[in-house]
Amino acid sequence: MSDATRVSSGQIGRSLPRVEARAKVTGAAEYIHNLRLPGMLYGKICRSTVPHGRILRIDASAAAAIPGVHRIVTAEDIRTVIAEPYYGPAFHDQPILAEGKVRHVGEPVAVVLATDPHIAEEAAQAIVVEYAPLPAVFDEIEAMNSAAIVHDILKPAGTFPDLKHLAGRSGTNVALDFHLRRGDTERAFAAAEHIFEHSFRTQQVMHTPLEPHVSLADAADGGVTIHSATQTPSFVRIEIARLLGWPENRVRVKTAFLGGGFGAKVYVKLEALAVALSLLARRPVKLALTMEEQFFTISKHASTFRIKSAVDGHGHITARQCQVFYNGGAYADIGPRVAQKSGFTATGPYDIPNVAIDSYEIYTNRPPAGALRGFGVPQLVWAYESHTDLIARALGRDPVEFRRRNLLRDGAPQATGTVMRDAAISAVLDRLAARLAWDQPFDRGAGTLKRGRGLAIGFKASISPTTSVATVAIAADGSCILYCGTVDMGQGSTTAMAQIAAEALGIEAEAVRVVAPDTDVTPYDMGTLGSRSLFHMGNAVRLAAQDARDKLAALAAETGVPPGANLPISEQFRRKYGMQAGTIVGAGSYIPAYAPPDSATGLTPNATPFWMVGGAGAEVEIDTETGRVRVLRLVNVADAGTPINPGIVETQLTGAAIMQLGFTLFEEMQFTDGQLRNPSLAEYKIPGIRDMPDRIEAETVDSAQQSGPYGAKGVGETGTFAVSPAIANAIEDAVGVRISELPITAEAVYRALRRAAGDQLEDL
Amino acid sequence: MTAPRTIHFTLNGAAVAATVMPHQSLVELLRERFDLFGARESCGQGLCGCCTVLVDGRAVSSCLYLAAFVDGAGVTTVEHLAADGDLDPVQEAFIETGAFQCGFCTPGFVLMTKQLLDEIPDPSDDDIRHYLSGNLCRCGAYPEIVAAVKLAARRQRGA
Amino acid sequence: MTPFELEEPVLLGAALALLDPEDSSVRAIAGGTALMLMMKSGLYRPRRLVSLRKLAPALDGVRSAPDGGIEIGAMVRLSDLRRSAVVRAAAPVIAETLLTHSNVRVRNVATIGGNLAQGDPHMDLPPVLIALGASVRLAGPGGERIVRVEDLLTGYLETVIANNELITAVIVPPQTGWRTAYAKVTARSADDWPALGLAVSVRVEAGIARDARIAIGAATETAMRLPGTEALLAGRAIDDALLQEAGRAAAAEAPVVADHHGSASYKRVLVAVHLGRALRQTIAGAER
Repeated sequence: MSDATRVSSGQIGRSLPRVEARAKVTGAAEYIHNLRLPGMLYGKICRSTVPHGRILRIDASAAAAIPGVHRIVTAEDIRTVIAEPYYGPAFHDQPILAEGKVRHVGEPVAVVLATDPHIAEEAAQAIVVEYAPLPAVFDEIEAMNSAAIVHDILKPAGTFPDLKHLAGRSGTNVALDFHLRRGDTERAFAAAEHIFEHSFRTQQVMHTPLEPHVSLADAADGGVTIHSATQTPSFVRIEIARLLGWPENRVRVKTAFLGGGFGAKVYVKLEALAVALSLLARRPVKLALTMEEQFFTISKHASTFRIKSAVDGHGHITARQCQVFYNGGAYADIGPRVAQKSGFTATGPYDIPNVAIDSYEIYTNRPPAGALRGFGVPQLVWAYESHTDLIARALGRDPVEFRRRNLLRDGAPQATGTVMRDAAISAVLDRLAARLAWDQPFDRGAGTLKRGRGLAIGFKASISPTTSVATVAIAADGSCILYCGTVDMGQGSTTAMAQIAAEALGIEAEAVRVVAPDTDVTPYDMGTLGSRSLFHMGNAVRLAAQDARDKLAALAAETGVPPGANLPISEQFRRKYGMQAGTIVGAGSYIPAYAPPDSATGLTPNATPFWMVGGAGAEVEIDTETGRVRVLRLVNVADAGTPINPGIVETQLTGAAIMQLGFTLFEEMQFTDGQLRNPSLAEYKIPGIRDMPDRIEAETVDSAQQSGPYGAKGVGETGTFAVSPAIANAIEDAVGVRISELPITAEAVYRALRRAAGDQLEDL
Repeated sequence: MTAPRTIHFTLNGAAVAATVMPHQSLVELLRERFDLFGARESCGQGLCGCCTVLVDGRAVSSCLYLAAFVDGAGVTTVEHLAADGDLDPVQEAFIETGAFQCGFCTPGFVLMTKQLLDEIPDPSDDDIRHYLSGNLCRCGAYPEIVAAVKLAARRQRGA
Repeated sequence: MTPFELEEPVLLGAALALLDPEDSSVRAIAGGTALMLMMKSGLYRPRRLVSLRKLAPALDGVRSAPDGGIEIGAMVRLSDLRRSAVVRAAAPVIAETLLTHSNVRVRNVATIGGNLAQGDPHMDLPPVLIALGASVRLAGPGGERIVRVEDLLTGYLETVIANNELITAVIVPPQTGWRTAYAKVTARSADDWPALGLAVSVRVEAGIARDARIAIGAATETAMRLPGTEALLAGRAIDDALLQEAGRAAAAEAPVVADHHGSASYKRVLVAVHLGRALRQTIAGAER
């Protein structure tokens, strides 16, 4: 039975409430945060107080003397259970506990184990560590040519083949450099009518999932079970097995619902430490971070982006040069991949024949940076869409018309040379302009309150090559269980996967039970990240369900059920087994085609299995006496393919936009000499309900991803792409000043207004 | 005394006793002694609202509340709302409007909304925003939360 | 948090006796919202806490004073203060200010006495109470004393309250003829602590500012009055020129400090702009 001949059960396009909704509103939903194991110890981490230094001495005598302390653990102890205690998805550069030296403030140096978390915490504060400070570097541009070297030698992990060439490099803070060249930029710039050059910066911010990082490890009987709030259970299993030198089947990783992830909980975070502690203590160990500790664990890259464009007399962009510097902090985490993958799209969603892209991941002595809802792309869109608006204004062209003139359309090659397919860039721009009534007059405010509007559009290549595997089991009564390793951290994957499986099986989504990820039970999945799950796992689930359906059809044929007889599934089982017995298992595995970029040119004919497109429009009001920015209206338009669950897609878009609003207007990790000054929600503010724009809207354009499950594609990151530049563009529209650095605080706008008036605000 | 003490209070309608340390917080007591996990500590500073419970009918941050202080008081947690198996209208409204994603902050929002509607049965947008300004949702479900509050208010007023 | 003794006396005298004049590791705890933060972060490790919870009946309630002012018991919780009809009638600015002060849960627990005793410059009430001319009643082993709120606060988390003294009440004098407004300015999220809190009280007759009390908080190390700016306003006809002049004067007078919320020079801009706006608001109220 092929898909085409089957009758839809109407599961696609259905705004079903999340299947776990009841558990979430009653407080019954399971989170690892809630988990306790019998005999469990709590671990509390003693962290580095200097940004870069040699560890001279760790004096834990006072801590060890506190009644109730079970044990103090340092790097030396870790070595007794893990011979080479360095981990990381891209580089094996991160020690489980600092060895010999520390590279950022807040780096784990020692751990106290106790049955009472209060005692563990008190003892952790009583550990005295002496450091010999080393020269430190914090700025990504300075780090390019600094005498302060964060890592003596680069240690690529080998997980990703395209990073292998970096092995053994020394004396540099550049963890990865990606270069792309297409066409002849030099000639294009020489022939250009106009040349524009700008520089933009973004600040370091943090994911702040409300469920802080938490992992438990229980090593027993020659194996270890890890309960972790992780977005990547399969990766954790593989990495822990590698560290221990064990086969994968002795490592079990279980998750539950995540209280937010946003990229913070990808790859190994606390798991390796928890495993080592459990092996040492021979008891289960729980590591649960505080909100404060999360700031020292993972963050989003600060960045500098130098961008230069050539434009001809007709308003066509003929060449673009991009230099992007990502501040990766002290450990690579997934940063090298961020620098490379985002590099693919650094020139923006424009049809530009001549492009040159240089993208760098740079070590500094800040807390590590990794993936945060967009994998580097929001930093890029901030720059290229601010730049594009500046060009349009300088040329006296309407920003929408100028973009339309240069837009990348299906069938045209993008910067990497990959030909665009199923990317509704034009439709997104059109709908954005229509929603904003761009061609209509606009209320520009009065007195000291000036209004303006702006828009921006960005796009992203999905992560590739990556694999997802799913299985579907049909029980003898016809009920269905879906085994898939996608982690539901709020994005609604459990619901969407149930809908996809149900559609393929011709049943209701409510009849499908989805098993929480457990590597002993759920098959391999690369990870819940980069908006990849709905596409990759969605395809695997569809294939698994179709496989089960085909096997059901075979069972029907075998038991003599005539086609179209509509016999209940349970009856078919009964005919075969003579009682309520048996299981039908369908399996699906999905890996899309991918071609790695050429090492010399960075070009590839197949950069991604699908494109995400997101546009944003903003209407703002500026208080010209204080610089205060009020976002009156925020419109988000996206290409999500054919949404599986339109209701959830809409909340994903507005939720992402609200998060990006925080990154745009006020969120910022503030440092003085490498010391983080605001590691708490008291001083690191995230958007609250009163920060919501007066009007916030989301729309998905009419489109379909041909290779996606039922035309769908990922959308988790899309709503973040264009918010920041849309607001900056609106601010310039309102008051004529350009902000080129995030966050756009009231003070930044006020200072820009004073500068524009030739009356710079003096710092006395 | 730093020694443990026994406290007596009403928890979700039932008289209970517990031995607590003076430095133990209410959220720790609820989780460790009573296995109630709906209130959860996140920011640890009373700013996010994930640990919201009601003490004598008033919403408090249980991460900033000494367990010893509920001696003689009545404590209500989110678990009480659907104790009879039927969801509270506020919970139903949160489901129908899709007013959450990861769900970690949701019990706090639900309890705050309960108290809001007790005080102001027909809240304006402004009332809702001010009342819920001390609860954070990192998933950004605020538009749906406002819709949920309004829906629950309409239902409770019988409108 | 680390272990401590917890005492819960029922009588004020017993509470005072449990405090130790020489030992700052013994402290009173009322609502505890601020103290809990300091204890959880390890900034404060008490040996003994003296809970005022069971004193609440004696220190509760908002009463009208015979002179038209009000007396607020130190254990009155901020949410009750916000809802108090007595407060709304006598000093509505207190109720208005509390709408955006911290959040509902904190207001349900935090008391006005604890709020003032903490000496935190980012609180909204101190500048408002200073502008209202309010005082506190302090009880100690030797008896009572009355201290004006502006004299109570001496620096960042510093007050004149001795280790063995307690605030028992806040006294707000009658406000006949006075109009008060409070400007809370946040620099980051809307629910942030203020970057600037500015309270302005004026007594206006026929367009002339007869008298003014101006208090600033959050942007300075502690909440304080700006007497120079007050003097500049006194007896002057209120017009745009005067408001601008007063704004400049306040910006110059206030010892603002840079912090997470912004630079000192930017905060001076905020002082100048919001002083004018707050004054306009009080005058508009006076003319209604």
